[in-house]
Amino acid sequence: MSAPITALLDGETVTAVAGEVWSALVGEEEFLLPGLGPVAPAVDGPSAWVTVTGPWDGVVVLTCAASGTADLTRSVLQLDDDEQPTAEDVEDVLRELANILGGNVKSLLPGPSALGLPETGPAPLRAEDADTCRVSASWRGHPLAITVQGASEAPAHPTTEVPK
Amino acid sequence: MTTALATSGFDWVCQLVRRESAIVLAPGKEYLVEARLMPLARQLGLPGVAELVERVRARPEPALTRGIVEALTTNETSWFRDGDPFTALTGTVVPALQAARRPGEPITIWSAACSSGQEAYTIAMLLADSLPGATSRVRITATDLSRAMVDRTRAGRFSQLEVNRGLPAPMLVRHFSRVGAEWEISPALRQMVTASELNLAAPLPRLGPFDVVYLRNVLIYFDPPTKREVLRKVRQVMRPDGWLFLGAAETTLGVDDSWERVPCGRGSAYRPMKGK
Amino acid sequence: MRALVIDDSRAMRRIVASILEGFGYETRPAGHGREALDVLEEGWVPDLACIDWNMPVMDGLQFVSAVRAVPAWRQVTLMMVTTESEHGQIVKALAAGAHEYVIKPFTADAIGDKLSLLGLMPVPA
Repeated sequence: MSAPITALLDGETVTAVAGEVWSALVGEEEFLLPGLGPVAPAVDGPSAWVTVTGPWDGVVVLTCAASGTADLTRSVLQLDDDEQPTAEDVEDVLRELANILGGNVKSLLPGPSALGLPETGPAPLRAEDADTCRVSASWRGHPLAITVQGASEAPAHPTTEVPK
Repeated sequence: MTTALATSGFDWVCQLVRRESAIVLAPGKEYLVEARLMPLARQLGLPGVAELVERVRARPEPALTRGIVEALTTNETSWFRDGDPFTALTGTVVPALQAARRPGEPITIWSAACSSGQEAYTIAMLLADSLPGATSRVRITATDLSRAMVDRTRAGRFSQLEVNRGLPAPMLVRHFSRVGAEWEISPALRQMVTASELNLAAPLPRLGPFDVVYLRNVLIYFDPPTKREVLRKVRQVMRPDGWLFLGAAETTLGVDDSWERVPCGRGSAYRPMKGK
Repeated sequence: MRALVIDDSRAMRRIVASILEGFGYETRPAGHGREALDVLEEGWVPDLACIDWNMPVMDGLQFVSAVRAVPAWRQVTLMMVTTESEHGQIVKALAAGAHEYVIKPFTADAIGDKLSLLGLMPVPA
């Protein structure tokens, strides 16, 4: 088994990669503001993800606050401000963003790895904290989270976490 | 909400840039000033460019002044930008120099507004691929007004977005390796390039003599007397049989008559006129 | 000039097509390599194909190999447009016969620069 993701990648790198993706795809003047503090809050909205297999197995997940998905889709597809994107467009945009984030994350990992096809839906189960690199950010005030997590699932009843 | 840059603020920025770099920002370039300075304003937590200008005017900070000048004088560069001066280098200039020089004699090239180094490394890659022994024979001097750009040129590291800009894929895989999220030029090519800070509008330090000078997309920013002065200084550090490449929209014609324009590849080059 | 835009993402097809149309191209979309081969077999042979790597049914690399195996399609310039960005992957695509390679994310200027390099810019920029 390879090293956990926390030993391979840091949040700063993921944030930098995401920033490049944003400025190229969402718009040149679009800034992804890094989240504050070490604890990333949960983001309430749809997720898209892509699997990475190789020396490190896992998944790169993008979650966007529901409030921001329509805006994000309009920016990527260059739709008019009053145009309401279809659910299909929203999913497609999130999938493609996850795909590009995943590909760029993959290139930072040691050894050859393969990328799966992107998917959308309820986010995959959380991995152990030691094998999770999670960054939070916001775009135009909408919270976003990018999680690079190992394939190993977290225990069903984590004992180290205080229940909310 | 951000406030728009008032005319007085714009004029002040123009004077600052003019004084520090001799570059003239024409009226009507307010949008350029806004666009280029906005990231700097944001970085400082200011709502807009007007506030940034206000802050520097109220209390001059050398680092900030420099940041403003650099943001307004730095060009986005791509590899092989306007390809002609590069095809001319391998097609015409280098064969001519090989014929005129002793075998192994150094070939010296100046990239006179190197930005983050794409021009200098484009030249290095082309010559490494076409001239035997180039890595030891060719010396490329890369200079820029901006310290940040000189540092970047020295590092020879480029982001994914930068290597996407006009760098042929076969050259990317041949001359670069991945370092984290960036791409790094090979050590052999990096050692062909020496980078340093230089202001073309100020008296030049000891330089050259150069066989080839790339002075592209710089003169357009200068007024006619400064253009003439820069061209005169460039001529002084060039070999008598050297070659000068200007940007596609630039010429020595009507500015400085001591140059001869010669067809070179699909474009033109300028050569010092004899006896001038 | 004509371009075939091959990507399983509708968003990406739309982005690439709109950039190319801005340069004066006529474009056609395909959702994967097999669909793209159908377009070629039907006789619509483009000057340029922009090809994603990871796609269902037939991926971009298989498509490149398939096109290179047909002499009648030699005039098609093959440009990968993909998030695959390792050194080794680019080498692999070039070895299979791709002419150029654009890494996602990219800007419209990046596509324009590559077209200029390839001599495929209809309107000189």
